[in-house]
Amino acid sequence: MEEPRIGVYICWCGTNIAKMVDVEQVTEQVSKLPHVVVSKNYKYMCSDPGQELIACDIQEHKLNRIVVAACSPRIHELTFRRALEKAGLNAYLFEMANIREQDSWVHDNREEATRKAIELVAASISRVKYHEPLDKRSVTINPATLVIGGGVAGMSAALEVANAGREVYLVEKSDRLGGLVNHLDLTYPYLYDAGSMLETLLRRTLNHPHIKVFCDTTVEKVDGFIGNFTTTILTENQQPVTLTFGNIIVSTGLKPFDASRVGEYGYGRLPDVLTSVEFEDMLRSGQILTRSGKPPQNIAIIHCVGSRNTEFHEYCSRTCCQVALKFANQIRTLLPDSNIFDLYADMRAFGKGCEELYTETSRKNITFMMFDQQKEMPQIIRSIDPADPHMLIFFREKISGLGLEVPADLIILMVGMEAHEDVKDVAHAVGISVCGNQFFIEKHPKLDPVATTTAGVYIVGNCQGPKGIPDAISQAKAAAARVLATINQGSVFVEVTTAQVNEAICCGCQTCILVCPYSAIHFDQNKRVSVVNEVLCKGCGTCGSTCPTGAIRSKHFTDQQILSQIAGLMEMTLKIN
Amino acid sequence: MEFKPTIVAFLCNWCSYTGADLAGTSRMKYKPNIRVIRVMCSGRVDPTFVYKSFREGADGVLICGCHPGDCHYQEGNYKCLRRFKLMKKYITQMGIEPERLHLEWISASEGKQFAELVDSMTERIKELGPSQVKQVAETLAI
Ligand SMILES: Cc1cc2nc3c(=O)[nH]c(=O)nc-3n(C[C@H](O)[C@H](O)[C@H](O)COP(=O)(O)OP(=O)(O)OC[C@H]3O[C@@H](n4cnc5c(N)ncnc54)[C@H](O)[C@@H]3O)c2cc1C
Ligand code: SF4
Ligand code: SF4
Ligand code: SF4
Ligand code: FES
Repeated sequence: MEEPRIGVYICWCGTNIAKMVDVEQVTEQVSKLPHVVVSKNYKYMCSDPGQELIACDIQEHKLNRIVVAACSPRIHELTFRRALEKAGLNAYLFEMANIREQDSWVHDNREEATRKAIELVAASISRVKYHEPLDKRSVTINPATLVIGGGVAGMSAALEVANAGREVYLVEKSDRLGGLVNHLDLTYPYLYDAGSMLETLLRRTLNHPHIKVFCDTTVEKVDGFIGNFTTTILTENQQPVTLTFGNIIVSTGLKPFDASRVGEYGYGRLPDVLTSVEFEDMLRSGQILTRSGKPPQNIAIIHCVGSRNTEFHEYCSRTCCQVALKFANQIRTLLPDSNIFDLYADMRAFGKGCEELYTETSRKNITFMMFDQQKEMPQIIRSIDPADPHMLIFFREKISGLGLEVPADLIILMVGMEAHEDVKDVAHAVGISVCGNQFFIEKHPKLDPVATTTAGVYIVGNCQGPKGIPDAISQAKAAAARVLATINQGSVFVEVTTAQVNEAICCGCQTCILVCPYSAIHFDQNKRVSVVNEVLCKGCGTCGSTCPTGAIRSKHFTDQQILSQIAGLMEMTLKIN
Repeated sequence: MEFKPTIVAFLCNWCSYTGADLAGTSRMKYKPNIRVIRVMCSGRVDPTFVYKSFREGADGVLICGCHPGDCHYQEGNYKCLRRFKLMKKYITQMGIEPERLHLEWISASEGKQFAELVDSMTERIKELGPSQVKQVAETLAI
């Protein structure tokens, strides 16, 4: 092994790190460790001048290993790897110490946080000594794309990719395309017709020569990796079909919250309490009627049903306020003399044209009132007179503090959005994660909002978080652009942190073959040793920790690298103690 | 002098490390005694990593992986669980209190659970006091 010449860079991250970690002290302490040639700190290591600093030092000091202590490697490891490559050093001769997410942001004692940073950096220095250059592997991209979920987001993504002349497989769980928009009458904020918009999308999708639609179908399991995925689906008539594709766009949407879970509102018990989705269906029929077939005189709309409530979902569903305003407008048009009561927890009419819709709606003789969802939920009761179908809503008006009573013969519950039951199956099938709210997690909320941490898998529309149609379609088109860019490149580089068997040490016990989840290892009968297929191996490292003879190297996570990281860490810990 | 334990933690990249990062982005506060080592999957945690940590002076070792069924590599966490049970037995035989080794499933969204876990584990190790492994090993020259 060549003599390691290590450069260490401590990032301030503005004040994010520097406020809680004494970066000068860290720089100074680690500079004395063996093989450290330069040790510096800088305001923003990820900035161009920060990367430039590393590149210059590589040239000037003949550095052959780099450690950056900064944010999480999940955020900038790739940035720095590229910087190394530009400077002519192999990308894997690099290690990051996480002193922001896992240090400065989670501690409030500067001395302890500084000490922790010193130890973590020492561990990284000790690890990077044993890093070795790894060759990148280039894989060709299969130009077909799989889209899972055929709502407006899925169809828009499919059309965008297909219009560029690329094949798309669009898999839809239900018996028709269109998703939730199938229910909608008009759309906020401009009250355009939802049906004609959907019709256009459907027609284009179904007639497109490059889009193949599979309804009544789900994707159980996807094998492979970016550029080379495969799956076998069962078509409507239970025919198995194997599809191969290079990228995946997930657009499985969300479903309306089950309103019967909110006991106070009597949904399911009281016939004239409807959900917003049911009211859309009613609007599409052209008439607003109670169950008894009469036009209602008093109509109430209740916001935040299942949303922004610690008992159900803490998040805001982000569309229901605008939908409520849309409803108020439509009711006013259809029933000019009715009384309309809008009971909201907060009015969140954000987004282009939406505040304007609120202002306009509030001029139409609609009574807006606020309740305190955290303290006291409104209660709906049937009025005592059996001849009278009317209901009463009891609630405390938030601003005045007064207990009020609102009569209603039709009540619309603005139900929130929540994940489908099978969201985890989809996540497992394509290898992505869900957040605490069961929405798929994007790679980075700001820098990479439609990608996921699994290369070649994108998330668009409601499944990434509740949103209106314009945002869902914007994401769909953004993901399509990403996919097309990859297809046009023709090939991508993939991680090579796979496993490798040292044939001289392997005793042929085949334990590794048993534990590999991807059947990536086979036994060479002639040589009597196990062999890893690098294309199938995903680098989980399980075989490496199972092999009894230590014959398996988990590249970039070798025993030697990790043991040395532990040693470097503990040495520094004991030194400080 | 106050006992400041050192806990070496092995976190899988996909769920647990992300969960720990989330505790950071949410600015949750927890005890500063933990030192995280990232592995791709909890299935990669070789028993030698655990023994080495104790041998070098760690007072506790924590392993975190994805919840059952959620492993990014399908079942690495089940393999880890099986190995964990053996490791517990083994360290007990070596004279290390089994409570010093802990396994927990932390998902990418469980930043809060991670912060609470670090605090409770730190408390537990503080009660146990400093680990004697390194010292004993050195006296016996092993
Ligand atoms: C009452 C109501 C009114 C609304 N009004 C408006 C409005 O006026 N203006 C506006 O901009 N927005 C409105 N919205 C929001 C709008 O509905 C969403 O923005 C839109 O539906 C998001 O589209 P999507 O394609 O992401 O999801 P969805 O429409 O939910 O489509 C997802 C599709 O994926 C399918 N799917 C699910 N799971 C799987 C699986 N495992 N495999 C295969 N397929 C699967 C579903 O069957 C569905 O077809 C309203 C929402 C509601 C509830
Ligand atoms: S958009 Fe409005 S009604 Fe819907 S959850 Fe948010 S605040 Fe409540
Ligand atoms: S577990 Fe190790 S020794 Fe056994 S066959 Fe696999 S590589 Fe060879
Ligand atoms: S690292 Fe994981 S995927 Fe690769 S061969 Fe070993 S067990 Fe199989
Ligand atoms: S990836 Fe988290 S336990 Fe396997």
